[in-house]
Amino acid sequence: MGVRDSHGEATGTPDPVEKGFATLNTIRIGVKAMVQKDGELRKAEILSIRQRKDGPSFYVHYVDFNKRLDEWVASSRIDLTQEVEWPQPEKTDKKKAASTNKAPSKNPKQQRVGADSREQSGTPDALGGKNMNVGKASRPSKAGGKENQDIPTPGDIFGSEAVSADGTPRAGDSEDVEMTDAQDEKIPNEDEVKTVSGEVITREEEIERLRTSGSMTQNPTEIHRVRNLTRLQMGKFDVEPWYFSPYPDSFSDVDLVYIDEFCLSYFDNKRAFERHRAKCTLVHPPGNEIYRDEHISFFEVDGRRQRTWCRNLCLLSKLFLDHKTLYYDVDPFLFYCMCTRDETGCHLVGYFSKEKDSAEGYNLACILTLPQYQRRGFGRLLISFSYELSKREGKLGSPEKPLSDLGLLGYRQYWRETLVELLMEPNREAMSENELAVLTAMTEKDVHETLVVFNMLRYHKGNWVIVLTDYVVSEHNKRLQKEKVKGARKIDPTLLQWKPPVFTASSRTWNW
Amino acid sequence: MQPASVNARKEQSTEAGVEWRLPRTEGPFSESDNAQPRPNRNGPDLSPPRPWSLAFRASRRYDSVRGLGRTRPKKLTAKASIPIVHEHQIDVIDDELQSTLQQIETGVEKAEESEFHLQVAINATAQGKVNAAHIPTPETILSNLQYDELYPPLFSQPATYIRFSSTVEDCCGCPYNMTEEDDVFLKIFNQKCGGSGRCTEDDFEATMNFFEETAHAKQPYAAVDSPPVLAFADMEEAMDATVEDNVKHFAKHIYEHWKSRRAVTGNRSLEPNLKFETGQDTDDSDPYVCFRRREVRQIRKTRGRDAQSTEKLRRLRKELEDSRQLVAFVRQREVARNEMVSMDQRLFRQRSEVKDMKRKLNIKDDDEDLINQKPKKKSQPDVPSRQPTAPQIRMPLKAGLQGAEDLQLLEDVQAEKESEIMRDIKMNIAKHIKWNEGYVDHTRAPLSPAVEKTFDEATFRHAITAQLPTPPSSNASDAMDTSPDVTSPLAARDKLARRAVDLHEEPSRMPSFRRRVGRGGRLMIDRRNVAASRVEMDPLKADRFKFDQEDSDEDMSYDTDGFSIQLMQHRAITMAKAREQAAVAAHAQAQAQAQAAPSRFPRVIQDSFGNPIPPAGNAGNPTAATSSEG
Repeated sequence: MGVRDSHGEATGTPDPVEKGFATLNTIRIGVKAMVQKDGELRKAEILSIRQRKDGPSFYVHYVDFNKRLDEWVASSRIDLTQEVEWPQPEKTDKKKAASTNKAPSKNPKQQRVGADSREQSGTPDALGGKNMNVGKASRPSKAGGKENQDIPTPGDIFGSEAVSADGTPRAGDSEDVEMTDAQDEKIPNEDEVKTVSGEVITREEEIERLRTSGSMTQNPTEIHRVRNLTRLQMGKFDVEPWYFSPYPDSFSDVDLVYIDEFCLSYFDNKRAFERHRAKCTLVHPPGNEIYRDEHISFFEVDGRRQRTWCRNLCLLSKLFLDHKTLYYDVDPFLFYCMCTRDETGCHLVGYFSKEKDSAEGYNLACILTLPQYQRRGFGRLLISFSYELSKREGKLGSPEKPLSDLGLLGYRQYWRETLVELLMEPNREAMSENELAVLTAMTEKDVHETLVVFNMLRYHKGNWVIVLTDYVVSEHNKRLQKEKVKGARKIDPTLLQWKPPVFTASSRTWNW
Repeated sequence: MQPASVNARKEQSTEAGVEWRLPRTEGPFSESDNAQPRPNRNGPDLSPPRPWSLAFRASRRYDSVRGLGRTRPKKLTAKASIPIVHEHQIDVIDDELQSTLQQIETGVEKAEESEFHLQVAINATAQGKVNAAHIPTPETILSNLQYDELYPPLFSQPATYIRFSSTVEDCCGCPYNMTEEDDVFLKIFNQKCGGSGRCTEDDFEATMNFFEETAHAKQPYAAVDSPPVLAFADMEEAMDATVEDNVKHFAKHIYEHWKSRRAVTGNRSLEPNLKFETGQDTDDSDPYVCFRRREVRQIRKTRGRDAQSTEKLRRLRKELEDSRQLVAFVRQREVARNEMVSMDQRLFRQRSEVKDMKRKLNIKDDDEDLINQKPKKKSQPDVPSRQPTAPQIRMPLKAGLQGAEDLQLLEDVQAEKESEIMRDIKMNIAKHIKWNEGYVDHTRAPLSPAVEKTFDEATFRHAITAQLPTPPSSNASDAMDTSPDVTSPLAARDKLARRAVDLHEEPSRMPSFRRRVGRGGRLMIDRRNVAASRVEMDPLKADRFKFDQEDSDEDMSYDTDGFSIQLMQHRAITMAKAREQAAVAAHAQAQAQAQAAPSRFPRVIQDSFGNPIPPAGNAGNPTAATSSEG
């Protein structure tokens, strides 16, 4: 596949990586060092450095780990007895290359590759003036909150990744270089690279894509940003955010951000939060309840009518969804919010958003179970509910891509279980993929791929057969047993009071 | 990726060749769509063409193992029904399918697909170890927050599904929330003020919010061009009727506090705000800028549409202004009312004081000016006496009159509408008549032809002619004058027939009879219109008998009008006949009975015995074929 060649030695790139021993004083942003993580050493890239009373701490991204595991580590966790990889500072060359290589990068394919390799494209700056050790790539201090902007580390631009897996230079070598050219004139001096970093074109494309498709996912440039919130207080829980979210920039200075569980308003001040709680009367998502069983309720909230609430929701969910973008407003979406109920109100557990009118036939845009409720089967209910809505609409649907890692696992599990359940029904002897799709509201593509992924679709003696493998059968039986013990948590379609909402073209376009 | 797809394309082409040459031997799944070009998996469009990739790899395998593939897998179409089997029912074959796994898009961002934990999880599920499929996430812990204090248990679930449309802003009260800093200030302030003029937290927040909102309204670009903090004079200027009195009262005291806090933040809003687009170049690159407006599609502009929207806007503005005006008036009225009530109260108090005074000073008078009700009653007659002349009644009248030029009265409008409707109806009627001119409705004719038309009326004799050989002498003075000399029934017949015409407006309704000779020489008497003498029955009553099949005459009762001319005449005639023709009296009596009887029986068929009608029967040419009622 040749995608993940970013870290030179990992894929055996011929590019020489400058290695050497570092001290705490010479470590700078972009350096890759071995860092203690859960009892083992992992290679990690330093993304930001800040000075504390008890010495510097480093924001590190573990190579090949999801960004949600990025964290601040004390210097003691960095193993300086091993060599570190230095970022490669070749700024002037980069610029030249940039101007020469402009043209070819217009090729969309190459840009896609560029997006793949985004990991190298930008490295967040350290926190303002606090970082003493930052090398060339550092930037004079700026007001709080701005420090998280991406800076292309020169080494990365020409770095290892411009070479494909098989060792031959890629045709698209230029794209990484090109990414910087658009902002050449904006660069006051070599040390002070302004934000837009590489992906000017990619980003424009991205925005164009957002504009035309109405999607709210994925914005590559925002991907490698240092988390801005430290901790979150919400309801009965303290939650650690996973990713960056554009809450007011002053929030990055406080240790704890308070989120009102019902209106999802945010506060950086405890007293203000308490005052707000004294006044706030909301006890459930501000929409119509469309589903209610003994455990949960679903509320339908219109992004246009409940703009503030939906914005709050998006800000919150961005903390846990890497590829969500809040670039555009929430108007063209409906939010289906799942709640548990008790005497204090309906507590948001998770939600999914859905385009009012999806050109691509997606039945779901973003989906999130709040971290404090994860691993309890709520995600499955959300997915199941999204398909229930599709059934009511009489459409086949699929979630918008890209999926997150957790999303992929959740969906695959749901797909497998749903299909197996159908296939295991007594007296079923044969079924077409189309039948499966119609019964589940899954797209035929998803049906087919699920069958293939779980090795259930095989060619046997000149015929295709669906094989109920021992694995899926045992999983199915396990699930049935579990349901017997714990009770089945399922969406009951008869409890859904919902008609597909109809939006006229003008209401979508003009917000009437 | 690239090399792989190149390979894929090679395969594709070779395979296509194979396909072309080989006869398809396998059964039910036809491959008619084989020839269509496969989507290029190399292109930016990453959606995999559905079943092909699989078909392909399998085919390659079979090709390589067994030579050019007789067993190349059939293409799998979505509609094709696939048998479901258990694993033990088939031979274990390939592990090569595992490699097709790579061909299936995960849908995860490419760069993240290779992430360590995801790969572990994917492989774990593939190998059937679900428990290993665990992706670590940062932890959440229970908060030490006083949850119960902050979230009171106030929720009671309604029986029906909740429907709700209030916004967050509607539910959160004053948007400004106090901080510790404000607390300190407020505490000091309230200590200074002492007991009476204390400022509550709500008032404080309302005031701060007023400052914030005014500042935002007057300096919308404060974040960009950093103007000085708004002066208090500007604040006062912005105070209009909508600002609460408390806010006005505390504003000047709190202003300095607000100003100092504003100064600290560089004249930014005190509440942390999201960054929205400002229209600057830096917007695009600023990760904090969010929720941009989506560009709307331009619709084509035409003059008509322009005018339309102008008109719409104008109307909208007018309506909004009107309603605003209305609200302002209502407010004015309520304020006035409030004043009046307090005035009344004051009056009452003063009067009771006067009363007390009077009592104290022992002043005795009629007390009328003291008692609340009475003076009021007194003053009220005053008012009414003035009212006819004074503004109170006339004012509205005048107002009405002034408006009358423009205003139409409801009755006028209604009358006009009514007449218009009538006119419309008339016009419609005329129109319909015109349309129907010369229109003959053949469908109106009964489906079975009317009985009357089927036989020749001439064959029937009118009953009277036969019965009245001589006119009654007594009471029929002039009408029967001419008849005494008529001895021949035939001669008399014509005359009487004429009379009968006089008596009955329609001759056809006169009872009439005819004689027929049936088979075997039977004589039959057919009669018509006997029922005509019956009085028109009340339609309701008639309805009662409509389906009554009762035949026996004992039970039958007939509604007959004893004073109907026909019957009276009939009776008179018979009686006269009885008197005059004494000889045939008995006979005639019997016959008269028989005459009256027919009215009771729908149909009488008699064998001939002493029938008085023979002449009539002879004259009529009995066509015999059709009976009169059939």
